[in-house]
Amino acid sequence: MLNLLIEGITSFIQSTGIAKIFAATAETPLAFAGVDFGTIIMLAISCVLIYLAIGKEFEPLLLLPIAFGMLLSNLPLANVMHNVLFVGSGEEHFVMDFGKILHEGGLLDLLYLGVKLGIYPSLIFIGIGAMTDFSPLIANPKSLLLGAAAQLGVFLAFFGALFLGFNIYEAMSIGIIGGADGPTAILVTKTLAPKLLPAIAVAAYSYMALIPIIQPPIMKALTTKKERSVKMGQLRPVSKLERLVFPIIVTIVVALIVPDAVPLVGCLMLGNLFKESGVTERLSKTVQNELINIVTIFLGVTVGATASADTFLQKETLFIIVLGLVAFCMSTAGGILFGKLMYVLTGGKVNPLIGSAGVSAVPMAARVAQTVGREEDPTNFLLMHAMGPNVAGVIGSAVAAGVFLAMAKVL
Amino acid sequence: MNNIYAQGAVVSVIGLCTVFLVLAILWGVLELMRVFFTAPKKQTKPAKAQSAPAPAAPAPAPVAVADDGELIAVLTAAIAASLNRPASSLNIRSYRKVGTAAPAWNQVARRDNLIG
Repeated sequence: MLNLLIEGITSFIQSTGIAKIFAATAETPLAFAGVDFGTIIMLAISCVLIYLAIGKEFEPLLLLPIAFGMLLSNLPLANVMHNVLFVGSGEEHFVMDFGKILHEGGLLDLLYLGVKLGIYPSLIFIGIGAMTDFSPLIANPKSLLLGAAAQLGVFLAFFGALFLGFNIYEAMSIGIIGGADGPTAILVTKTLAPKLLPAIAVAAYSYMALIPIIQPPIMKALTTKKERSVKMGQLRPVSKLERLVFPIIVTIVVALIVPDAVPLVGCLMLGNLFKESGVTERLSKTVQNELINIVTIFLGVTVGATASADTFLQKETLFIIVLGLVAFCMSTAGGILFGKLMYVLTGGKVNPLIGSAGVSAVPMAARVAQTVGREEDPTNFLLMHAMGPNVAGVIGSAVAAGVFLAMAKVL
Repeated sequence: MNNIYAQGAVVSVIGLCTVFLVLAILWGVLELMRVFFTAPKKQTKPAKAQSAPAPAAPAPAPVAVADDGELIAVLTAAIAASLNRPASSLNIRSYRKVGTAAPAWNQVARRDNLIG
């Protein structure tokens, strides 16, 4: 009887996660003296990220699900996520087996299919489109060029990643962090470098949250007091017809030149048309709220869940964090420098600060431009002027992503 | 080894040029739209009756004021707090409910007192 009891207790203890942590084998990553430090570090990182999301409010709507997903998938023996089903275990040409995923996958594996198939980023873009007012861009189309210039960081970080030894597909995925657009970065990475997905998602969303800290020093360093004080004229009113035609034309133009950008740009413009048409208010409200919220939960939790010790605790993750910062800084600088060019060409009518809003993080980057402008002159209102490059940046980074996806096919 | 940098340079140049090209084409299209859709016809906009004496107040606009003493008091207090002026210097003549159909970001901006 006693033996049976001891046997029962022993086998129960052996089935716990604690026992698993202290029974690491030689194959376990970061194992030392039989203790699985990889899992312990990942659980600690998850808790730090949860703290940053709740305590510091760093993009909490995304960082919290990402961090908790990371926590769930790293709990020993919980088996809610099986990365091996999606990226294989080191094979040269791994082909995903959907049947196996459906039969053997846990809850998060099934939800992760939405990321893997590129569904969630596009659905999120429908919601973003419905929340975006393109009027400042239509009223001042020149600002489209600022949105293009602010993609500079994407290509510089891409090059930097090549120098650090990443392959060309990984470098593309890292570069796109500079687009400051989470769903776009996720779409590119899941296609080109799935193993880097958690690191890139965490870097992209963390830096987006840090925009109010990262951008102002660069903006001030690259502009003079006189340039920052420029007051821009009132934007012209935009007719409803223009706002209706805009999404349709953008979709057609982008689709004809960069077909690979259509899933993002097409969905962005579909959402915008819901909003602007005035006859689909229910759809517009749904995509702005329920749809985007539900998809964000699925996306965040599953992207976080892909962060396992063997893929995340690598020196590459540190490189990605550094390159992501470089990408953000360079994109900001690209926008500002192009803004300075426009300042000169227009005879001082454009405030170069709005160029920094060309990184697409909407509307945070525009608000940073407004805040920095106001520090110079409290009566200066740059917000609506900065919204032009800001929404142009969304289109710009989606096009950059499309170019990467297209080039990856031919390289 | 150099090959990968050459490839990288090609991708960067093509990528940056394509982004500029697409957005420049859109710029051209938008300029055309402006020419076609906002033809010379002069729009005589109905004069917006922003009649409130508190110019930067978030909401004031026309609607007949009924016996809404309590609401007016609340609005006065809110505007006074927002503008940091004594309530006695304000005189609300009219107010209008701003619809919640505004884009979420505009609502955030309004809440943060960035736009009117």
